[in-house]
Amino acid sequence: MIKFTERNLATPKQMRPVYLVAFGQSDYRKRYPEKKTEELCIEAFRMMALDNKLKVDGIQELKGYIHSCYYGHFADHFGDQLLGEALIHDRLGLDPMGNVGIKSGGATGGSTLWMAANAVASGYSDSVLCMGWERMDEVDTWTGNHYISTAADKDYETELGHIYTGYYALMAQRYWKTFGQSSPAFRRTMSKIAVKNHGYAVSNPYAQAPARITVEDVEKSPIVADPLRFYDACLMSVGAASVLLCDEETAYKLTDDPIRFYITAGSHTLRAADRRHMEIPLLPNEKDNDEIKKTYAGLYGDSNIERYPGFTGFLAARMAAYYAYNMTGIVDPCTDLDLVELHDAFTISDIQTYEDIGLRPYGQGPDYVESGDAYLIDPATGKRGRLPSNLSGGLIGCMHSVGATGIMQVGEIFWQLQNRWAEFHEPEHRWTRWGKEKPADFENLQVPDAKRGLAISHAGVGSHVTCSVLMRPESVIKK
Amino acid sequence: MSKHEFSFNNMNPGATVLQRLDPMVIEKPRNPIHVHTYGGETPFFRGLTEGKLMATKCMNAKCDPAGQEGDYFLPPRVYCPDCLEKMEWVDITELARATAKVHTHITVEHPGAFNQVPMPCELISVEIEGVATVIMSQLTGGKGEIGMKIEPIFNTAKPSFTILDLAWKPRS
Ligand SMILES: [Zn+2]
Repeated sequence: MIKFTERNLATPKQMRPVYLVAFGQSDYRKRYPEKKTEELCIEAFRMMALDNKLKVDGIQELKGYIHSCYYGHFADHFGDQLLGEALIHDRLGLDPMGNVGIKSGGATGGSTLWMAANAVASGYSDSVLCMGWERMDEVDTWTGNHYISTAADKDYETELGHIYTGYYALMAQRYWKTFGQSSPAFRRTMSKIAVKNHGYAVSNPYAQAPARITVEDVEKSPIVADPLRFYDACLMSVGAASVLLCDEETAYKLTDDPIRFYITAGSHTLRAADRRHMEIPLLPNEKDNDEIKKTYAGLYGDSNIERYPGFTGFLAARMAAYYAYNMTGIVDPCTDLDLVELHDAFTISDIQTYEDIGLRPYGQGPDYVESGDAYLIDPATGKRGRLPSNLSGGLIGCMHSVGATGIMQVGEIFWQLQNRWAEFHEPEHRWTRWGKEKPADFENLQVPDAKRGLAISHAGVGSHVTCSVLMRPESVIKK
Repeated sequence: MSKHEFSFNNMNPGATVLQRLDPMVIEKPRNPIHVHTYGGETPFFRGLTEGKLMATKCMNAKCDPAGQEGDYFLPPRVYCPDCLEKMEWVDITELARATAKVHTHITVEHPGAFNQVPMPCELISVEIEGVATVIMSQLTGGKGEIGMKIEPIFNTAKPSFTILDLAWKPRS
């Protein structure tokens, strides 16, 4: 563990601006025997290349721009294929360009974006492919759960039930008892998140689990590990997502509407067990705020009822946000941003993350949902929310095809900021393409006048977290 | 057999089975064996089989610890995470008997494949005075509660040589 110095906390730099130029994805399914992983990746690439109004004459001209490739794929044992990135790279016909596989558990998509963006920012490449995928359907669900549990410490944790949900639930239970006082109101907030994200998935033709459910449905669903129920948990998925990142000159050569892209990363111990008590690194909207310092003194100070970050917060998320806000000039995320895509692995970890990234102070996360801020339109009041979250459906409603997840989140925000969400979600052909029927209750989820967005990609019980920030070029805060 | 050779004789032959014709889907069974070492953490796992809870402590006078809570590490670490000097082993069995508490707890009802713990199982995280960390373990003979006083019990009779040789029970 690090004792912070100024060097540790230095604001990350991009040596030149990085832009998102195009995004494509497959649809996502629990089981996908109709297609090999390679086919799904090529479908994502083709959509990225052909559907984004790029100023190139087809796939081969676009390939002529790609200088290096970054592939995110979490679990070799799920796909039963080592060096899967070489196989995908070959099927994409991108040899002999340099490529690398990147893995960091649930944050693999985010980490892959981090490496790809750094390649552009450093000047190594002007244009890079960043693609992620996962295939989780070769084994049954319980073997899948065992495989995921090997992303805990195998000597000290995995043996204890072979079930990651349990390791998460230990944190959830502590948060729930400390800040939620096990109250029905807190349980209700968790349920509302599941209802919201499954509901947004209804209007997403790529999503795996669209559903109009109620708070009661969530609270009647089977308990997986108390207080987490079936509907509180994310999906296991098969699918692929792909983005193209470029420097400024190349970006404008390829598109009239590139989106500025920033990304940072934080980490914490693999075992929650090893998280020692420390001072809270404050975010820009928490500085010089006596009230917050007083609030935190009650929670984490000398008269503490809790360790920080202990089992109730994710230091990796706090660090990623700390770097990202200082890098981009964001002061108050609820004011400076127009939408977010968070890593809702579980409803409760979604709430914990609201606090880590400063949407609310520690201990007050549920208010982000209860205030209506987290909705496009608050179903309780009919009013527009300040900072809608997970309009894709997130990991609960859309997918958790692990290596693709962080890329999907960023891609969905990219289309939103281009004001092209409807183009990719509404037309009949976007649904029939995947053998689906467009639902009668389809809603237009384009955020009006969206200029800036943020995405969190998260691994383990908080071992790795990346924070992506997207801004329309004219809305960049720090020039 | 020389010191560095291991036996891997239990490999399933991996015969494939046709599951579906279109798209063609096949089943590929396998059952590999891993040979795994506890290396420098051996005193902890051997300690469990002898009824002892072994932790580590950094004895480097120049070490500037990053955490603010306690000197002992459990799970143990061979090297100090702050200064990377080798730590010393300390028997904290009595300390745990006197001061251990439940930090958080859950009940697991549906384990993953290959699980050896009888279900449902009470998972707990354990706070011990003077210990910087909060180890994950299992509770027997009761339902967990935050703050519950507990003491360690050890599977010395028929050890599994895994972390499952350690469990906790309510302390009277
Ligand atoms: Zn030390």
